[in-house]
Amino acid sequence: MCPEIVDEAAQVWFGPQHVSAHGWATKLTIVGDYIVECDPNAGYFHRSAEKCLEFRNFQQGALIMERLCMLEAFLAEYPYVKAVEQIAQLDVPERARVMRTIMMEASRIHSLQFWWGQFGAELGLFAMTLWPWVDREYFLDAFEELTGSRHAVSYSAPGGVKYDFNEKSIKMLERALDRLEDRLPKFRDMILRSPTFKLRTKKIGLFDAAQGLKWGLSGPNIKACGIPMDLRKDDPDPNLAYEMCDWEVPVTTNEDHPGQCDAYDRMSQRFKEIETSASIIRQLLPQVPEGPIIDPKARAKANRLPEGEAYGRVEGTRGVTTLFLKTADKAQTPYRAKIRGPCFASYYSLKHLVPGSTFADFVVIFGSLDPYPGWWDR
Amino acid sequence: MGVGTILQIDIVGWLSGLPSWIYLVISGLFSLVWAFFNWIWSIVVWFWALAISQIWWLFKAIVFPGLVFILFSIIFSVWFTRKVWGRVQARRGPFHLGKYGGLQVFADAIKLIGKEIVIPDKAKRWMYRILPSLLLIAVLVPFAFIPWSNEWYIADLSVSLIVTFAFLTVVPVVSLLSGWISGSKYTLIGGFRAANNQFAAEIPLIISSVGPAMLAGSLSIMGISQAQSSLWYFLLLPVNCVTFMVSATVITALVPFDAPVADSEILFGWRTEFSGIYFTMTYFAEFAKQLLFSGLIVALFFGGSYGFAFMPPVLNFIFKFLIVLFFMILVTSSFYRMRQDQVTHFCWKYLLPLSLLNVVIAMFAIVYVPGLAQLLGIGG
Amino acid sequence: MSRDWHSCWESEVDERMGFFSTLGDIFRVLRHTFRQTMTRPFTYFYPFEDRYYPDTTRGRHIHIRKNCTACAQCVKACPTIAIRIDKQDRMYEKDAALHFDYTRCIFCGLCVQACKFNALFHTKIVDLSEETREDLQYGPDRMGTLERKPLKWRGRTFR
Repeated sequence: MCPEIVDEAAQVWFGPQHVSAHGWATKLTIVGDYIVECDPNAGYFHRSAEKCLEFRNFQQGALIMERLCMLEAFLAEYPYVKAVEQIAQLDVPERARVMRTIMMEASRIHSLQFWWGQFGAELGLFAMTLWPWVDREYFLDAFEELTGSRHAVSYSAPGGVKYDFNEKSIKMLERALDRLEDRLPKFRDMILRSPTFKLRTKKIGLFDAAQGLKWGLSGPNIKACGIPMDLRKDDPDPNLAYEMCDWEVPVTTNEDHPGQCDAYDRMSQRFKEIETSASIIRQLLPQVPEGPIIDPKARAKANRLPEGEAYGRVEGTRGVTTLFLKTADKAQTPYRAKIRGPCFASYYSLKHLVPGSTFADFVVIFGSLDPYPGWWDR
Repeated sequence: MGVGTILQIDIVGWLSGLPSWIYLVISGLFSLVWAFFNWIWSIVVWFWALAISQIWWLFKAIVFPGLVFILFSIIFSVWFTRKVWGRVQARRGPFHLGKYGGLQVFADAIKLIGKEIVIPDKAKRWMYRILPSLLLIAVLVPFAFIPWSNEWYIADLSVSLIVTFAFLTVVPVVSLLSGWISGSKYTLIGGFRAANNQFAAEIPLIISSVGPAMLAGSLSIMGISQAQSSLWYFLLLPVNCVTFMVSATVITALVPFDAPVADSEILFGWRTEFSGIYFTMTYFAEFAKQLLFSGLIVALFFGGSYGFAFMPPVLNFIFKFLIVLFFMILVTSSFYRMRQDQVTHFCWKYLLPLSLLNVVIAMFAIVYVPGLAQLLGIGG
Repeated sequence: MSRDWHSCWESEVDERMGFFSTLGDIFRVLRHTFRQTMTRPFTYFYPFEDRYYPDTTRGRHIHIRKNCTACAQCVKACPTIAIRIDKQDRMYEKDAALHFDYTRCIFCGLCVQACKFNALFHTKIVDLSEETREDLQYGPDRMGTLERKPLKWRGRTFR
């Protein structure tokens, strides 16, 4: 940065009250209309969730996890449950495995639909905010029919799931999927084929796979570069049922810039994620086996855990979500719980992504990484 | 002692003169007041005489196509916009107050007017106070030239098209200034973006309006709309109509081109720091601008008050006006926001050649298509 | 600074966007928006009409004192210390009074799952808003019943 530029530079605080700052303050140094320096500042949402986990027993811990990210509640509570199951060596019944998988994929769709809307609002089209949110309501209704709550579902428990499928909840889930598949062509016209959307997102926030991996990005942001990096395939979880269906890891490759992704690629990648999740649910719904939904002794076993450590991880909507759990012998609460959310990496990658773009594009880059505050500050 | 004369005041004599003194003062004051009242009264008499002679004009300026009508149509357009936006976004618009939420806008206006006015420390106070009203005036004055029908109009200058554009050029200057004096970086960015929008779209806008002006052989909006009694210029200059509409959208800063007030990027652009009545004025000015451009589009391209014979001319105009307004709102809720350099790029690379092209084609059509000039009423 | 920031001028318009195909895309978008204006709104007139709540809804609780055995499992299960139990306050043989603090409750459902004696259930009532914080602390009398003060708003009665 040459000194003349520094003289002209102005500093703008983007957030934390800004509408599209997602609750964080980013300090931007701008020269003219260009951003020359970006300084992300996390910490505005810190509610010490890890410490809270140390004071909750193993039934209650998942509640805190799902409140970190309400949008992917089924996915967010899973790493904790998985870690507890590993330490206590609980067997999960077949039915519970399939049901968990179905609900996790539904949760992924619902979270991505929310992100569409949010991204549409950031790009200035408020109709695009509410159209996916209408479809999302159908999924929320299905969640409510199953668990009794729309967002804070508290579905998985160590050793199984808490609520059983009934006829009506399956019907509502299918209705939500029908609605989604009906509306996907419309959204493809309104988003991917919309000329103004192409103008705003093509070649904006470009990074290649090596950079992304170095910054610690995961999930759709890496898959958009063309790397099929997906925990569902790479690390098949014995407590989930992804091997029961036939699916491919969705990747986006752009012939213009192979191995790189821009905001447009990230959007089309998330379209493919939704289609994949929908097809997984469609395949798994008829395969739900009969049987118990929870190991009857699981509750007693999860009351006091033996000494041990476990590492629960899941491919979340925004990337790899992990939780490290360490317990002392016969402990009712964890000795230490460490959460690794996907969005901290994507937020701090802005430091390298943003400089050079215009002030108006900052919102696009920021939004296209699918940030969610709960995963940054624990 | 005995040195010099004693200057004795005859206090009794002085006192005896006092009533005449007081009388003089009072009568002087009274005559001053009387003269003042006479002066005022003479003004009233003069004005009344003027008003009596100009009562029809006054009625038009104040009531029907004038201030009251425009104010109510702004309020209606706010309601209409909110309803259509609501429908597009799969929700209901305002519905609690009045029938179909009709009183909601009044309630909002009263609420906004009653709000506290917070002036930032770094703002220039007097400019902060004066600019929003200046903006509203600059936007409201050109409504005088909108020909609602051949009888219902306020003023008809021979150059009213030029005057309208001149007044509309004031608007981005006011936006830039108000962004500048608000003492915030976000408003400054918004102000420059507003100037950029005007910079981008003014030339395509004016060149698109050259087409109808040339065909009608007049620079008066009234004259142009009267010249379309047999053939709407929309049929002859469809591309010009579209380019006019798009550049009007750019200048009004509606959604595909709303970089000046981009709420997700720079909060509310140059309007961020305005509060209370000042915000209301800038908000209404935007809708007034939208209405003004809808009116101009109808007058220049859609035959003004000519149309269905069974409707009175004014209703014809208003009907077409509403359709154009609806279309503008529809466009507003369909596209993503463009970046400000893309706006300039778009306007100069696509709109400007297109608008020129249609004017040239129309010229050739008049020269080489027989009977067309007859139809348009152009001699030759 | 990792990139040359003048390179942004090249990124204005994608070359592959042809004029007529872009025009077609614009009209397709406008058609979708126009069709949307003709559809019915999705939202409810909230206070006048309410949505459907399934039987599983985790709303406010109801305490059936006849079944209660004062085992205090719900108190142990509660992650937010929202439940307080008063064993002295007896109505039947071995029941207890339940004090619920709805400013703390997160409706997780653990207390209902912990209850082995069918004494604590969720209900479909989810609109719990009250005027003061104290009103949200439900005593044993309010925990046992679903009746509550009707809400009057603009001349109409809800609940």
